[in-house]
Amino acid sequence: MIFRVFLLFFALISGAFADVCATDDAGQSLCLAVPAQRIATLSPGATELTFAAGAGDKVIAGVNYSDYPPAALKLPRVGNHTRIDLEALMALKPDLVITWVTGNPPAQIELLEELGIPLFAIEPRTFEGVSSVLERLSTLAGTEESGFAEAERFRKGIADITEEYRDAEPISVFYQVWEQPLMTINDDHLIGKVLQLCGGVNVFGDMPRLVPRISAEVVLEANPDAILTGSAEGESDGQLDRWKEYSGLSAVVRNNLIFVPASPISRPTPRLLEASKLICQKLEVARGH
Amino acid sequence: MWWRPVTRALLSLGALALAAMMLALAMGSVTVPLPDLWQVIQGDGSALYRTLVWELRLPRAVAAFATGGLLAVAGALMQVLLRNPLADPYILGLSGGAAVGALLAMLAGMGTLLISGSAFAGAMLATLLVFGLAHGTGSWTPSRLLLTGVVVASGWGAVITLMLAITPSHKLPGMLYWLMGDVSYARTPWPALSVLVVSIALIMPLARNLNVLARGPMQAAALGVSVRPLEWSVYLLASLLTATAVTAAGSIGFVGLIVPHMLRLVLGNDQRVILPASVLAGGTLLVLADTLARTVIAPEQLPVGVITALLGVPMFLYLLHRSR
Amino acid sequence: MSTLRTRDLIINIPERRDGFALNMTIEPGQVWGVLGPNGAGKTTLLHTLAGLLPARNGWVELNNAPVKELKRRAIARQLGLVFQERQDTFPATVMETALIGRHPWLSPWESEQGEDQALAEQALHALDVDGLSNRLLNTLSGGERQRVAIATLMTQNPDIWLLDEPTNHLDLHHQVKVMNLLRNQAQSGKTVFMCLHDLNMAARWCSHVLLLYTNGDACWGAAESMLVPEALERLYNQRLISLKKDGLSVFVPAP
Repeated sequence: MIFRVFLLFFALISGAFADVCATDDAGQSLCLAVPAQRIATLSPGATELTFAAGAGDKVIAGVNYSDYPPAALKLPRVGNHTRIDLEALMALKPDLVITWVTGNPPAQIELLEELGIPLFAIEPRTFEGVSSVLERLSTLAGTEESGFAEAERFRKGIADITEEYRDAEPISVFYQVWEQPLMTINDDHLIGKVLQLCGGVNVFGDMPRLVPRISAEVVLEANPDAILTGSAEGESDGQLDRWKEYSGLSAVVRNNLIFVPASPISRPTPRLLEASKLICQKLEVARGH
Repeated sequence: MWWRPVTRALLSLGALALAAMMLALAMGSVTVPLPDLWQVIQGDGSALYRTLVWELRLPRAVAAFATGGLLAVAGALMQVLLRNPLADPYILGLSGGAAVGALLAMLAGMGTLLISGSAFAGAMLATLLVFGLAHGTGSWTPSRLLLTGVVVASGWGAVITLMLAITPSHKLPGMLYWLMGDVSYARTPWPALSVLVVSIALIMPLARNLNVLARGPMQAAALGVSVRPLEWSVYLLASLLTATAVTAAGSIGFVGLIVPHMLRLVLGNDQRVILPASVLAGGTLLVLADTLARTVIAPEQLPVGVITALLGVPMFLYLLHRSR
Repeated sequence: MSTLRTRDLIINIPERRDGFALNMTIEPGQVWGVLGPNGAGKTTLLHTLAGLLPARNGWVELNNAPVKELKRRAIARQLGLVFQERQDTFPATVMETALIGRHPWLSPWESEQGEDQALAEQALHALDVDGLSNRLLNTLSGGERQRVAIATLMTQNPDIWLLDEPTNHLDLHHQVKVMNLLRNQAQSGKTVFMCLHDLNMAARWCSHVLLLYTNGDACWGAAESMLVPEALERLYNQRLISLKKDGLSVFVPAP
C-alpha cells in the first residue's frame, strides 16, 4: 500500500513516467508513452519548427527543401511533401511523424496511420499558433525547457513589435506573392497579419480567399502606397519591374517597391519575428517617402 | 495442335507476370536482401521487412497489376468496339468524368474514400452521357460514338482546366498528381482485382463474338451475332473497367492503347487470346513501371505514367519495325 | 433443305417510289441470278432477304417463318451471305476467317473442334486457297480474298446461300470454278441466290433469274423465259446481240 502511494507520488512529480500528450492542429489528440526520440518531419516548415522547439537532434528524416536550419540539410530525405517515399520513412523507424495539415497526400498519411505510426499534424495560422506549436512539439519531444523558452521569446517579440507600431500611421500595402499569375494574400494569412502588425493596411485584406489570384487592374485601382514581395535574399530582382511602367501608381511615385527575404516570411516559424521586424522597419522608411 | 503457339504465349506472359510481381516485392528504396525476402515470405523476418513487403509492397504491386490489366483489357475492348486500332480507354471521355468527380471532391475537402467514390460516379456519369447522346441520335455507328465521345471528353477537359484555375494554391499539387496518375493512391487493391477477375469471366464467352464483330456489323449479324446488344454490353463493360482503374490510380496513360496493340502485332487478332494476354501483359507492364517509378531516383517518387510512356514507346517502335 | 419465300416484298430504297411487289419462292436445287444495272437495288434485296434490312412492305419467310421473328443465330444456321465489301481493320489469318463460319453452330463456351477444322480445310481446298492458310487476310490479292469469303460461307454450310457478285476480282479460271461449285451445291440440295453483273454467267449457270429495273419494276422466273433480248435491253438500256453456240446463249453489246 505504501509502496503504491510512493509510486504515485513519483509519477506525479516526475512527468517522465506519465504519457506525454498534445493536441495537433487538426484537432486530434496524441499521447506517447515516452517522449519521441526519432522524429520525421514531412514538410520544410515542420522541420524548421521541430528544430526551433529544441528537438533538432532527434529529427532523423526530412523531405525535400528542408533547408532551415542549416543542420537540416544533412538529414536523410524521404521524398517530397507531396509524394513521400514511405519505404525510406519506415526503414528509419520513426516514433513520431510531424505532418502538414494541408500539404501531405491524404492517401499516404492514411496508410501511415494504419501502420500504427504516431502522427502529429501541424500548420500554424496565427502568431499565437506558432508559439503554441513550439510548446506542443517540445512536450512531445521532451524538450520543454528550450521549446517553451523559444515560444515565449517569440510571443514577447511579437508583443514588443505590436507595442512599438501601435500608433504608426497606416500605410496602404500590396503584398505580391507571385508575379505570374499575380497572387496576393488576405488578412487571414500570416503574412497579412505581419502587415497589420506593422500598421500596414493590406488593400486586398478583405478578399474571401486566403491566396487570391488577381489582375493588374485591381492593383491599379487600389493604388497602394507600397508594394512588397519576397526574393531569395531580399535583393532586388525583376519581380516588381512591371509596376514601374505605371507612373501614376503611388508606390512607384514614392519609390516604395520593397523586397524582403522570401523564406522567413513564407513559413509560419520563429523566423517570422525577424521578418516582421524587417518589414516594419521598411514600412517605416516607406512612410517617410 | 493449332492452339499450341498461343498456349505457349499465354504461359510465357503468365511467367513474366509472376516474375514482375516478385521483382516488385524485392525492390524498393530500401534494399531487402533475397535471403531476408525468402524469410518474410515464409512468415518470419524482421518487423521492418515484414511491414515493407506485406503492408507496403504487396498491396501496391497487386494494385498496379490490377490497374494495368483493367486498362489493357478496356483498351482492347474499345479498339474492337470502335473498329479503330488507335482507340484507348479514355477516348470517350471517361477519365475526364472521373477527374471532374475526383477534383470536385478534393475541392470540397473530402476524404480519400469519398474522392474515390466521386471519381467512380463521375466516370459512370460520363458513360451514361455518351451512351445517351449517341443513342438519342437514332442509328449510331462507331464513328458517331467516337465523335460524341471526343466532344464530351473535350468538355470535361474544359471543366478540369476551369477547376485547376480557381482552386486554392495548396490544393493544386494534389489535383495535378491525381491527374498524372499514381498507383500509391490505391489504398486497397482488392476492389480493382475483383472487378478485373469478374469482368474477364464475363467477357471470355463473348470473345469469339467479338472476333466476328470485328469483321463488320452486317457481316457479324449474318453470322448470328446480335450486334446492338453486344456492342452496348462491351461498351458498358469497358466503361466499368476504365472507371475502376481510374478510381484506383488516377488517369494513367498509354497502357490501354499500347498493350493491346503490341499484343496484336505479335499474337494476331483472336480476341480469345488477346483479352487474357492483355490482362497479363498490362498488369506486368504497370507493375514494372511502378517499381521503377518508386526506385529509380529514390527517395524521389515519380508518377508511373512517365515510366509507362518511356518504357512503352521504344518497345512499340521496335515491334512496329520488326513487323514490317 | 430450306425454302425462302417473299410475300409482297417491296424493298426499301430511300427516295425511290415503291417497286413491284416480289412474290418469289426460292427452293432447294435452284440457282437464282439477280440481274440489273447499278442502283437497281440488288444488294439491298439480298440484305433484306437475310433480314439485315427492313422491308418497306411485305415480308420474307424462311421455311414458313417470318424472318423478322427469328433469332439471328437461328437464321445464321439456315442462311449465309457473301457480301460485296469487307472490312479489314483487324485482319485474321485465312484459316481463322474460314473457321468464323462455324460461329452460328458453336455455343459461347465451345471452341472449334476437329470436325469444324475439317470442314474449314475442305472449304479452303475447294476454293483453291488451302495453301494460304496461315497468311493474313490483308496480304492477299482481291481474288484470293473473294475465294476465302466464299470458303467461309461453305464452312458455315447453311441451306441457303446468298452471294453478292461472287465472281468479283476472280480470274476466268476461278470464275468458272466458283460457278461450278455453286451449281454443284444446288444440286446437292442447297438453295443458291446471287447477284450477278455478268448476264452471260446467268445464262450459263442459273436456273432462275430475277430482273430488277432501276425504276422498281421486276420480273422473275425460269432463266430461259427471262433472258430474252427485249427484257435485257430494257434492263441495261443497251442494245444487245444474242448468239447461240453449243446450246449456250451468249449476249454481247451491239455496236
